[in-house]
Order: sequence, then structure tokens, then C-alpha cells
Amino acid sequence: MNWVVSTFSTSIGKKYLMAVSGMLFLLFLAVHLVGNLTIYGGAEAFNSYSEHLHALGPLLAAAEVLLVLAALLHITMGVTLFFQNRRARPVRYAVDKTGGGGRTIFSQTMPYTGLAILVFVIMHLTAVSRFFVDRTQKTAFQVVTELFSNELYVALYMVFMVIVAFHVRHGLWSAFQTVGANHPKYMPFFEKLSAIFAIIVGVGFGTLPMAISLMN
Amino acid sequence: MQLDAKIPGGPLETKWDRQRFELKLVSPANKRKFHIIVVGTGLAGASASAALAELGYQVKTFCIQDTPRRAHSIAAQGGINAAKNYPNDGDSIWRLFYDTIKGGDFRAREGNVYRLAQVSNLIIDHCVAQGIPFAREYGGLLANRSFGGAQVSRTFYAKGQTGQQLLLGCYSALSRQVAAGQVTMLPRREMLDLVLVNGQARGIVVRNLITGAIERHAAHAVVLATGGYGNVFQPFTTNGMGSNVGAAWRAYKRGAGFANPCFTQIHPTCIPMHGDYQSKLTLMSESLRNDGRVWVPKQAGDQRRPEDIPEDERDYYLERIYPSFGNLSPRDIASRAAKFQCDQGKGVGATGRAVYLDFAAAIKRLGRAEIEARYGNLFQMYEKITGEDPYQTPMMIYPASHYAMGGLWVDYNLMSTIPGLFVLGEANFSDHGANRLGASALMQGLADGYFIIPYTIGGYLAGTALGEVNESHQAFTDAEMEVNAKINRLFQIRGSRSAASFQIDLGHIMWEYCGMSRNDAGLQKGKQLVADLRQEFWENLTLPGSTGEFNQSLEKASRVADFLEFAELVISDALARRESCGCHFNEAFQTEEKEAKRDDAQMCHVAVWEYAGEGHEPIFAKEPLVFEFVKLVERSYK
Amino acid sequence: MSPETINLTLKVWRQHGPEDQGRFITYQANDIPTAASFLEMLDIVNERLIVEGQDPIAFDHDCREGICGMCGAVINGRPHGPEKETTLCQLHMRGFQDGDTIVIEPFRARAFPVIKDLAVDRRALDKIIQAGGFISVNTGQAPEANSLPVPKSNAELAFDAATCIGCGACVAACPNASAMLFVSAKISHLALLPQGRPEAAKRALAMVAEMDRLGFGNCTNHKECQVECPKGINITNIARLNREFIKAAVSSPEEIPVFPAGRPEALQMGAK
Repeated sequence: MNWVVSTFSTSIGKKYLMAVSGMLFLLFLAVHLVGNLTIYGGAEAFNSYSEHLHALGPLLAAAEVLLVLAALLHITMGVTLFFQNRRARPVRYAVDKTGGGGRTIFSQTMPYTGLAILVFVIMHLTAVSRFFVDRTQKTAFQVVTELFSNELYVALYMVFMVIVAFHVRHGLWSAFQTVGANHPKYMPFFEKLSAIFAIIVGVGFGTLPMAISLMN
Repeated sequence: MQLDAKIPGGPLETKWDRQRFELKLVSPANKRKFHIIVVGTGLAGASASAALAELGYQVKTFCIQDTPRRAHSIAAQGGINAAKNYPNDGDSIWRLFYDTIKGGDFRAREGNVYRLAQVSNLIIDHCVAQGIPFAREYGGLLANRSFGGAQVSRTFYAKGQTGQQLLLGCYSALSRQVAAGQVTMLPRREMLDLVLVNGQARGIVVRNLITGAIERHAAHAVVLATGGYGNVFQPFTTNGMGSNVGAAWRAYKRGAGFANPCFTQIHPTCIPMHGDYQSKLTLMSESLRNDGRVWVPKQAGDQRRPEDIPEDERDYYLERIYPSFGNLSPRDIASRAAKFQCDQGKGVGATGRAVYLDFAAAIKRLGRAEIEARYGNLFQMYEKITGEDPYQTPMMIYPASHYAMGGLWVDYNLMSTIPGLFVLGEANFSDHGANRLGASALMQGLADGYFIIPYTIGGYLAGTALGEVNESHQAFTDAEMEVNAKINRLFQIRGSRSAASFQIDLGHIMWEYCGMSRNDAGLQKGKQLVADLRQEFWENLTLPGSTGEFNQSLEKASRVADFLEFAELVISDALARRESCGCHFNEAFQTEEKEAKRDDAQMCHVAVWEYAGEGHEPIFAKEPLVFEFVKLVERSYK
Repeated sequence: MSPETINLTLKVWRQHGPEDQGRFITYQANDIPTAASFLEMLDIVNERLIVEGQDPIAFDHDCREGICGMCGAVINGRPHGPEKETTLCQLHMRGFQDGDTIVIEPFRARAFPVIKDLAVDRRALDKIIQAGGFISVNTGQAPEANSLPVPKSNAELAFDAATCIGCGACVAACPNASAMLFVSAKISHLALLPQGRPEAAKRALAMVAEMDRLGFGNCTNHKECQVECPKGINITNIARLNREFIKAAVSSPEEIPVFPAGRPEALQMGAK
């Protein structure tokens, strides 16, 4: 398997791993969001979604393992690339401007939004996942409602969702570019999709606390 | 000086075959024992390095730029000729040969020029195989266009950057050989002397432009492909800032004959001058003349905007005087005609030194999109430099020195008068006579490098007794001392003028007195002015820094010192040529219609100059030109 | 073509050699004609420095027609300055205002060590081409030129990629000092032509491996390279490189070459 190691040790190989694991997260985000939007259907709908999800059993476990592996790859590669890229320019520019159409606040903050998302994911998992929270006494809806009753948490949560949207804004089209799917005919679509999906993710997740407070 | 051109006998068509048969071969196993130095990485130098390395020779290649891909061949825009006859319009090897020799006003050798036409087709094959992205038709086959006075479409092109693309082809072939270990590439090195041992060229002394170290390099043969000397006219030139005569001049001083230095080509379609600080002029491909119409106002001193001058008050002088060639008249004719119009006060623009090149009719006929496809990058370049949009208002153009037909004398094998010193491309004099046709420079550079030197250098190496010589030989020590002494002399002047200012002064003298149109009195005056300037240079130069570092001022000063000596040779040669021919136009020799008047009885020769030592007039020698196969006719483009 | 002049303040990076730390020095550049190019402006400043007995500013340049790729510096944070698709020699002073302050820095990347002032060593780009940026055809081997038709659209895409002048502005512009646009331009040029296909896999693997070894950064799709490229080469070429690379790595029998470790010789000053 030496060729596999050498392929994914190259700069492009690493980027492929970033892109493919990133795409997996995008898919996860989409599914997760669809599931969470059941909150708008009320406690019953949401609890039912949660039960159905957990009923998947081994399938869910497999997906979780896959996501953890992808996360490990995404983080390792991201950190490696970050430090390699810093080393590639030992002396920084005194004036560093962009001409427009180049780097954006989204692309420039990828390492930092990534790190923030890692922090959030840990926080989020310890707060809601079945591994950390006793779910025998409470329904999923109760767990979430309790969490969002803390105003500080809500504020923090909303900031994090903006950060996720930032990450997605650059990550989506970027993943397609990295795997080589850039073509004048369909790249404009991916670019637009990037922005639209970022808004959907930001707004979709970000308004959940409001949805719950409205319902109560 | 012995000037044996070594042209094989027999019919023109079989001369090159015969020569290739008669040249001795180096056996495959022995090739790796031979070391060859190539100086310069333009089309000629890079292609020669690659082709020789492919054969198995050990090659060391030098260039003054940071990488071999920068050589000024990149600036050639229009295209490269070949006798493929793809358009089925009557072209043939013979026609390309005839057009080239006639274009050169019958001052080139039949044998050389015929060979050039013969190998032209191989060049296209090779370049396509290398991946040069030539223009193609919808069927996927190669496109051709008519160019620079040719009545057939034989020019292959890659938009407006054929030179760039061809050079990148050579560069990639060279890079492949560097990777294979066959070529040692030494960029940022400037050749400062040629080293002779037993009368044979056996190495060079170079300055490492990064560290300033003087380095010695020995070999069995030396190939110079160091380009032309158009910068003797700087800023009235399109040459790159680094292009210089230094390497050729140092070889001349070691005994290589210099041929026809007064044959310098003026290019008609450059962007006019805008101020004293301007470093050089920018060339635009004369392919522009395919669709652009040249005109000036009929009324001298007409200050109106070009759009405001009605059709019947415009003089399309090329179409009027040369009805069959019109705007596609040869370069020298078009250039002189432009100067003639400007001298009559009909020049346009702020300086009065410009004529219009108008695309309005072509845009109307073909549509803007088609013009954009053909010349888009040239139009863009023009707009960038002048701030005017040539789609809306006519371009302004003016001639500038562009190409040097003259160069070091070489025989049919491209060897100079120094055994073991070969000279390729623009640096030699061989194929273009008194005037070069458009799209022929790229052809010659690549012909010399890919398809001629690989054979002829083998003949020399196999047929010559070459003793063991290495860098510790006394000749290297002596040459290095001389180089150091000259550098030290430059630093010791401690005057108050920069080298660049001397170069510009020299250019003004040469342009004024030895430019497009020459006369004896002016040439004499120019010669004196050059001598005076040279004296001032050696008394009043200031040179910052030291030699042991990256010092661009020193590079410049060293090159200007050579130009100041060389310029005098150009003028001497112009004075000695008692005729007008091609680009050399002496006002004393012209027809009633103000066309160049050749003197085939007295002047049908190559003028060759031999160095006779400091302070002595160079020795003049002639190589008679014999025309067995073509009849000398007066050029007529009417 | 106006005879106007402007006065400028230049903050120029001065560095005696690769080991020197370097610093900004401020120069007053008065009476600069607006029709002059940026390099002609530097010529004027240098002429004054030389006459005053000072060390002129070192900068690389040659053709001054925007095609040789030798010039280049970062002007107010932009490689080759603020104009689109322009090399430094084709940037004209009419784009600046009287009284402007212009900060001039060399291209900065680990793979491009500074030689002096604004002149940097870009031999790393040569090394990448040497790793595989060619078609292996010996002189004399070629078949008849028209024996191989190339679809016009492919020929034009190949040409667009081949217009790369190797100036290194993409590396200078990239926040990661990545050379991906440069590499992808050559890969694309040759991969789009039938002549280039036989070696496409080998070429992609070798050029990428060499690029990595030379210490360039990784592409993170900032698109700065395509914004600053003087020839307008775009990042669809990078996507093509990514495709060519993964295709070669996964489906061709070619191996990724292992280049010797250690400090690449291209980065050593004055080395052969």
C-alpha cells in the first residue's frame, strides 16, 4: 500500500483528503439539518426523528465511526497544511492586499473557523450526544430545550453557527475545485451553491433556539 | 584572414546532403567524451544545447538571465516560416529560398539559404511534436498566414507570441536534458572572454552575476548563440535591455571575423517614443500590416484628430507608391517610407515621429471579433502602453532597430574564423543578407540549433586533433587576469556619469547618423562622436558597488564599454559599403525613385572585419558572393 | 501621451544579499513622467542614486514588453502592481496619483530567496519543469506535423495555459506561496494536446513531487494567483492538475518519484 501513502503525502493528496472528508461533513450537515428542522414540527416530531435515527443502530454507529475518522483526517491534514503553508513564506509582506476576486474573509479564516468548529463540536457532543447525556430520563426535545434555555449558550451557539457558515462558504466550492470538478459550465453553480448552502446552514441551525423559544 | 565558406559543390538541392555525408561522424560511444559550451539560451542556443545533449555530448549552457526561458527570442510575435505549402498556394522549398535571398537583396550565400529553406519543414514537425500550440483550423490541422511581404501563406503562428511558444519548446527540451544530466545549466553567468589554446576555441571565462566570482570553463568546442546587437541603437530599439554584443565582441577581439555589421534591420511597426526617459521601444508584430492600413495626412502639419481627417485628405502612401504589395511592403521600404513622410512634416502624434496604422476598414469588413482574435493581445499591449484604444482610434507606429543581419562570420558549418568557435542564430551573419524577411529569424535560429550544428560540430570534433585542456591551463589564467583588469579599470574611473546614460547617448548618435538612411558625411561625423563618447566614458564613468557582488551597474558598464567600441565598426562597415542594399541605405546610392541602388559589380561580397589590436584600424577582407542558381534582379515591390 | 509628472514617495525593500536581514528605505521620487513605465520610474530613481554615489536598487528585468517574465515585485501589496493582467514593465505611472506612497517589496516565498533588493532567485520553477514539463521527443524523431490533428478548442485551451511566462507572481500572490498555478499551466498545456498524453501520468506525478520538495505551499483555493497572473491563467487549470494527478496516482502504473531529501539545491545561492 506504499503508493497510497505516497499519494496522500503530496500536497494534492492531502488536499484530496481535506476535500473528500469535507464533502462528507457537508453531507452530514445537510442530513443533520433536515433532521433538526423537525423541531419546527414540535416536540413529538423531533422526538420521533430522534428515535428513528437511533433505531438505525449499527448503521448509525458506522456513520459515526466514519465521521470520526473523517474528522481525524480533516484535522490532521488541516493542521499539517496550515503549518506547511506558513513555512512556505518565512518573511511576510509589509503590505498585503488583494485585487478583488481572490481571497475572501471566508477563505482566509478557514484554519481558524475550522478550529472553532472543533471546539463547538466537542461542546455540542458533550451537551447533547447519547455518550455524554443520560437520555433515559429525558426526551431529545427536553435535552435541547434545556440547553437553549441558557441565554449565554444560545448566544455562543449562534456565533458558532455563523462560523460554520463561513467555513461552508469557502469549503463547498473549494472541495469541488480540489477534486478537479471545475468546469466553466458548472463551476458557477457550485460557487452559488456554496453561498446558498452556507446561508441555509447558518440560518437553519442558527434559528433553532428561536424556534424552541417560540414554541414554549 | 582566410575566408573559406566551405560550400559543397554540386546542385543546390544536394549540397546539404553531400555535406552531411562528407562530414566525419563521432561514434556514439565517443560523444560523451566531448564537452561543448553553449552561450545563450534563445532559440538557437537552447535548441543547440538540447540537440547536442540528445546526441550524447556533455553540454554546459550559459545565460545571463535568471533562467534560460527569458532569452529575447520570446519577444518575437509574428510567426515562423516553412515551405510546407499546406495552403496549396504555390509555395515550395525553392520559392522560400528565392524569397529569402531576394529579400536579403542578394547579399547572402545561396548554399546557406537553400539549406535553411530545406530544413524549415523539419522545424515545424519537431515543434508540433514538442507540443507548441500553433494556431489551428477547425479541422484540427495547422493554420497559416501570409506575413511580411510574402505572397504565399507560409507562416505558422501561435497568436502574437510565436517566439515565446517556440522558445518554451526549446526550453522544455533543454530542461529534459538538464534532468538527464546531459546539460549543466548555468544561468546568471556572463561570458567575458573566449579562451584559445593552440588557436582553437577551448573555453570561456564568465562572471557569476550573483556572487561576482570569475569562473573558468573548458570544453572541446564553444558555441555562441548570444543574439544580436540592436541595443547599439538603444533606446531606438526593440531589443531586450540585457541583449548585448559583449560575447561576440570578445570573440572578435580574440580573432573571429565580424561580418556585415552595418546590416541592421529597422522594424516599421513599433510604438512611438514618448519621452527621454524611455528605455526602449516596443515592437508590435508586423502581421498588423496584414489588416491595418498605413497613412498620414496629405497636408503637412495637420493637427486634427485622425477621426476628423476625411478620407480624401489621407495619404495611404504605401498603397499609392507600391500598389502590388501596398501595406505589406518589405520592412526596410516601409520603414524608410515612414521616415520620409515624417521628414516632410506629415508625421503625427506629439513628437511628429509617427504614422497611422488604421484598422477601421478591417473592423468594418471582418468585424471586431475577428480582429480581436487575430491581434487581440497586440491591441491590448498598445492600449496598455499608450493609454489609447486602437479599436476606436488608429494606432501610431514608428520604426525602430530590431534585428541584426550582420554578426560573426561563419562558414557553411557555422564555424567562425576561430576553429572550434561556432556561432548560431542572430549572432552570426549567414542567412539574411542585407535584410531579413518577416518570420525568418525564428526559422534560422531553430535551423541552426536543431538541424545544422548537431551535424557540423561532429564533423569538427571527429576531424580535429584536440589536446587535453583543463581550466588550469595558462590561457585561462591569462584570460581571467585580463577580465579582472578590465573590470578594475571600470571601477577606477570614478567619474560622474552612469553607464546607462552613455548607452542612451550612443543610441542617439547611431540612430541619427547610422540609422535608416545614411550618408558619408553623417557617418564620418557619427564615427567621431562615438570616439569622443568612448573617451568620455573612460574618463567620466561612475560605477557603484564592487565586483564581488550582484552588481547590475557593473554588468551594464561592461556591456556599454563593448558597444562603444563596436559602434565604430558598424559605422566603418557602413562607410566601406559603397552601395545601398537591403537595410543599408546610403543616400549617395539611390535610384531616381529613391530606392536602394545596389552595385553588384563591385559590392557583391560579405564584408569581414578582423581585429588588429587596440588603437589600430581593423583589417578588412571580402568573401565574394557567387550566384550560380539565381539571377540578381533589382528588387521591385511596385 | 501627456508630459505630466508626479511626485512620489517610495518605500523600497533593500537587502544586500540573501543573508542580510533587509529593511525598507524611503526615497523621494520627484518629477516622474506619468507616461513612464514602472521600471522606467525605477530607472530614473536609480540614475539619480548612481550620480549621488549611492547603491542603486537592484531589480530583474529584460524584455520590457511584458513577455519575458523576468521583472516582478510586489507594489503596495500586489504582485506586478494594481493593474489587471499586467507585468511590472507594462504598468504605467499614469495609474498613480501625485503624492502617492508606493511600497515596493520583492516576491516573497521560501522557494524564492532574495538575491538582492527586489531580485529573487526563481530557479525552483526551472526545477519543476525539469522534473517533467516537457514532451520526450528527440530532434529528428518527429512525424509530419499535420499527421496529428488537434481539435481547435483544445489547441486554444492549451495555448491559453502555455502563455505562462514563469514570472512567479502566482507564488508571490498566494497567501501560501503555492506554485500550483504555474505547475497546472504546464500540466494543462501538455495534457490537452495528444502529443502530451503518453507522458501525462508520469509528468503529473513528478512535477507535483518536485513542487512539494522545493518548499512551495499548498493550494487552498484563495484564487489570488488567477487575480494576479499577468497572462490571465485561471484556476480551472489547477482543477485539471488535480484530476490529472489523482488519475495518475490511482490508475496508472507510474510511481511518485522520491526526490532526495534535504535543502533543495535550487535554494542555495550561486549553486550550479
